[in-house]
Amino acid sequence: MARWGMVIDLDRCTACQACVVACQVENNVAPSNAGQAEAGRAISWLRLVPIQGERRGTRPDLQLIPLPCMHCSHPPCIKVCPVQATKIDHEGLVSQVYSRCIGCRYCTTACPYTVRHFNWKKPEWPAPMEETLSPDVSVRPRGVVEKCSFCHHRLQRAKDKAQAEGRPLKEGDYLPACAESCPAEAIVFGDLDDPRSAVVRLSQSPRAFKLLEELGTEPKVTYLSKGEWGGQV
Amino acid sequence: MGADEPSKSFPLKVGVAFAAFFLATTAGMTALSLGGGPAFLRPAVRQPIAFNHLKHVKDLDLACNTCHVTVETETFSGLPAVEICAGCHAEPQGTSAEEKRLVKMIQDQTPLAWVSLFRQPPHVFYSHRRHVVVAKIPCAECHGGIADSTSPPLRVRKLEMKDCLACHERKKVSTDCTACHR
Ligand code: HEC
Ligand code: HEC
Ligand code: HEC
Ligand code: HEC
Ligand code: HEC
Repeated sequence: MARWGMVIDLDRCTACQACVVACQVENNVAPSNAGQAEAGRAISWLRLVPIQGERRGTRPDLQLIPLPCMHCSHPPCIKVCPVQATKIDHEGLVSQVYSRCIGCRYCTTACPYTVRHFNWKKPEWPAPMEETLSPDVSVRPRGVVEKCSFCHHRLQRAKDKAQAEGRPLKEGDYLPACAESCPAEAIVFGDLDDPRSAVVRLSQSPRAFKLLEELGTEPKVTYLSKGEWGGQV
Repeated sequence: MGADEPSKSFPLKVGVAFAAFFLATTAGMTALSLGGGPAFLRPAVRQPIAFNHLKHVKDLDLACNTCHVTVETETFSGLPAVEICAGCHAEPQGTSAEEKRLVKMIQDQTPLAWVSLFRQPPHVFYSHRRHVVVAKIPCAECHGGIADSTSPPLRVRKLEMKDCLACHERKKVSTDCTACHR
């Protein structure tokens, strides 16, 4: 069985935000307005977050890092969920079942990466955008928590296609929208249990580090950088 | 009519309402089975034509995918467009009144707006080709006797999560939330 993980190469990333837009469109995330953003209520499954680093030559001391859900192997969020609306599945994906969520927001507080978002209001799209929503991702109602799913609806489709063709899933069949859209190929996605996969090779790089590793959450998102960012979100 | 009259009958109405609610919920709890709860709680449907499965499937020996064209190739199976019926019914095949209505609809090119009975909520992923072709599960296991019926079911039916889970547990298939929810 696969264990899905991601590698984000910060030395390749140009902070263009194509991944941010791709994610938003793919997952029916409604655009937020300035007021919501100011109140800290803007929803974005994948954000660019500024991290302070050290200055080295011409390199700027501020690094913008793409921040999706880490899909931790020991997710703090699932421990606090009183109704098991968020769980970790057999392939390592941390799921959120919206119809099960009661909106208590313990998980948004527990998540050290601040990637969980509460729907403070009903999502709204400017016309005619609501006609372009993806049927593969349910639209979340007001009052539930949502977060990056590693586009697991794409895994459902990929498995269905592979099974129908009578073959096993192969590398590249299942890619989240962010990885697919990155023009710099800075986001790599695959099976961490497959020794031949690119994610395994890259995460063994000396440039590899994880965010807030000291918490023991064991993120399945690995970053690559020559700089010393130390993971202070 | 006195202004206080409604309040006099109020306790009785509440009592009746509670009794009805209690009966409805207990009936619901005991009668839950394939089909999505007790019939009277499910929305009624009216199909544009009273289609007779038995006649087409048994007497005429038509395969399911004559009409449900994508059942073996896609996640959804599809309900037949009027062109499929027109293949045979452009000319009357019998003498029934229902068929006359159909022939008229075909001549007028009226689209057949079939109501889907088994529709799942949008947060569920389900695939026909996976169950019908890969797992080789007979249609009747999920849809009951619809192919042997002579008129469409009168009410919406639905597979419930426990129906899906019961079989998945039995056949050692994934019961992770991520398998079905999206
Ligand atoms: C000649 C065309 C035709 C054939 C052949 C046919 N069906 Fe249908 N089927 C229909 C039509 C029309 C409807 C919609 C009206 C209704 O519900 O009866 C329908 C509806 C259904 C539905 C209800 C789906 C929903 O959600 O509304 C099921 C289940 C079904 N058929 C199963 C079968 C099976 C199983 C077979 C093969 C044994 C089969 N059908 C063969 C025409 C056909
Ligand atoms: C392969 C040819 C064929 C196709 C395709 C077909 N039918 Fe028929 N249908 C028949 C025949 C033959 C009869 C039998 C007529 C009789 O014996 O009265 C019949 C009978 C009927 C009747 C009247 C009989 C009854 O008991 O109600 C209706 C209504 C009907 N069909 C509807 C449909 C609809 C709706 C479709 C498209 C979804 C369809 N048929 C597709 C061949 C076909
Ligand atoms: C494992 C259970 C299962 C089996 C087996 C199964 N179905 Fe279904 N069927 C469903 C579910 C669930 C839905 C509702 C799908 C949805 O809402 O997306 C459905 C919907 C349908 C519909 C409604 C229209 C549509 O586009 O989906 C038809 C027609 C249908 N099935 C026909 C068939 C036929 C014909 C077979 C056998 C060849 C079959 N089904 C086998 C579970 C099953
Ligand atoms: C009668 C048994 C049965 C029922 C009922 C059933 N399933 Fe399945 N399902 C299976 C089997 C067997 C497989 C494995 C198919 C294969 O070998 O790929 C499967 C596979 C699946 C998969 C793919 C799982 C994976 O790991 O990729 C999904 C999703 C799924 N079913 C959804 C549903 C839903 C939703 C329902 C209820 C509406 C349902 N199933 C009802 C037998 C069933
Ligand atoms: C095999 C497929 C399958 C799996 C696995 C599954 N579900 Fe479901 N679930 C469904 C289907 C189909 C429905 C819709 C039918 C119904 O309401 O029963 C549903 C409905 C629900 C609902 C009710 C939604 C409502 O609007 O009433 C909740 C809550 C839910 N699921 C939670 C979960 C959780 C949590 C998990 C994981 C522990 C899970 N489900 C795993 C198929 C599945």
